[in-house]
Amino acid sequence: MGYTLAEKILAAHTEDGKADAGDIIDAAVDFLMVHEVLGSRIIPVLEEMNFEKVWDPSRVLVVNDHWAPAPNAESALIHMKNREFVREQGIKHFGDVECGICHQVLAEQGLVVPGNLIIGSDSHSTTYGAFNAFSTGLAATDSALILATGRIWLRVPESLRFDVTGNLSRRVMSKDLILSIIKELGTDGANYQSMEFHGPTIDEMTVGSRMTICNMSVEAGAKSCIMPINKQVKDWLGERAREREWTAITPDDEAMYIDRITIDLSEDPIEPMVSLPHSPANGEAVSEIDSIEIDQAFIGSCTNGRFEDLKIAADIVRGKKIHRGVRLVVTPASRDTYLAALREGFIETLIEAGAIVTNSTCGACVGGHLGVLGPGEVCVSSSNRNFRGRMGHPDSLVYLASPATVAASALKGVITDPREV
Amino acid sequence: MLNLFNDIKGKARVFGDDINTDQIIQGRYLTLLDYKAMAEHTFEIVRPDFVEIVEQGDIVVAARNFGSGSSREEAPMVLKQVGISCVIAESFARIFYRNAFNIGLPALIVPEITKHVSEGQELHVDLVQGTVLIDETNMELKGSCVPQRMLDLLTAGGAVAWFKQQIS
Ligand code: SF4
Repeated sequence: MGYTLAEKILAAHTEDGKADAGDIIDAAVDFLMVHEVLGSRIIPVLEEMNFEKVWDPSRVLVVNDHWAPAPNAESALIHMKNREFVREQGIKHFGDVECGICHQVLAEQGLVVPGNLIIGSDSHSTTYGAFNAFSTGLAATDSALILATGRIWLRVPESLRFDVTGNLSRRVMSKDLILSIIKELGTDGANYQSMEFHGPTIDEMTVGSRMTICNMSVEAGAKSCIMPINKQVKDWLGERAREREWTAITPDDEAMYIDRITIDLSEDPIEPMVSLPHSPANGEAVSEIDSIEIDQAFIGSCTNGRFEDLKIAADIVRGKKIHRGVRLVVTPASRDTYLAALREGFIETLIEAGAIVTNSTCGACVGGHLGVLGPGEVCVSSSNRNFRGRMGHPDSLVYLASPATVAASALKGVITDPREV
Repeated sequence: MLNLFNDIKGKARVFGDDINTDQIIQGRYLTLLDYKAMAEHTFEIVRPDFVEIVEQGDIVVAARNFGSGSSREEAPMVLKQVGISCVIAESFARIFYRNAFNIGLPALIVPEITKHVSEGQELHVDLVQGTVLIDETNMELKGSCVPQRMLDLLTAGGAVAWFKQQIS
């Protein structure tokens, strides 16, 4: 009998040390992340509960990121409520409107280490699995219960194992890999399951590329997505979580998986992918689709607004001008990312090519501000969801792609294979 | 207490596959603090006239993967607010399923239900047995029984009420 990554990490958080797939467990949470949902929905639930004190103010991160800085009075009020809560409760980790998107900020501040159980009030909280943690998204009521008790009940998920070998070729990114996997699985192919990624391709990936995969796993319905650590993660933790102790978790050889999927990129190379409206599972190779004219190109979000994403975009547009009439909106995932890209000259390159570079926020990804689409407008986006109306008007169309494809498309005015520019 | 759940009656409002939480309530309304105002926009994208036709006690019937996407609890909340008594789907996205019970809205999994139920038909739902009876055709469909943990949440009146019981 052996255990998967999900089972092992969850078992370490229960009183009796047991967590077999299918069990309902009561677990002690290591860390909770909440964003604007705190001010809008969690605080009213806490009031109903007659809540007084956070179980541990050093284990909570509050972020104002979805509408940052506030574009209207409603979001401004929610931000005020969050600030007041942070002050009153003595919350140790707080990222106000200047800091960036919650998932990126949590990782950058070294708040996730291997073996952790982290819950976020946001479905993309699966992102932290890139750091060998079990992390998942829940909503307001569960977040309120965690704030009060530090505990949560969970059903231990079955695991779906992926072994990936071979290299991604030039200008093909981990986004293309996960879009092609979601195309195969469908939007509910991993529902209630934990995706587990292994293999040399994953072992060699940058932290950012790994985060992209774990981030988007939820678009196949996954509850979590966990990877073993690699050198890049170790270096990251050495820099950002130096004083924290942790042990890397590996699955047992005899672990039980619901299925095992092997992907050999040298035999079946992956091409740049694009997910057509209105589902992330509508993936097609960019080379296979008809010419699609765009109004906006968006590089940003917790999926692909990181340093490497801004770098590849800058490399593609360097010395060129984006297509007339196309808006290229670039939103770095965090202030740290923004600064790093600025120091490397990527921001200057992007602006010179015609891009609008915004401050770090969820912004356009959620149709909030800084790049909202009008009726009938077409956007190619490096974010994670192309649901109808997600980025603005219900009649707008969103195509998901890698930042390389988005940058190439901005140059040409039509969705373009980044290997062709 | 159980009869709360073994005869839920209502008219079916039928939806297709992959109704995500953005389709139930769009992200742009999340800054509204009042659920009543927010609920005015329920299913606005997929069925713009929904809030005009929906009646107290109606039952949402959907195909696969209902409630995928964003973790927003506002999705089951607005359904409850407009009077939906129960959601039946061929499958649910996990966060929606959990959120529904947390706020006291029953959810039942019944495979292939959209093949047998049409818009407006009167349904009788038994959560304990996991069955749905269609009045007009007298057909009974069998789904999965609602897990005890979820029935406990409903009996208490949602997760907050359940929590209060636990500590008192
Ligand atoms: S960037 Fe988009 S997907 Fe990511 S947390 Fe913000 S709104 Fe959600």
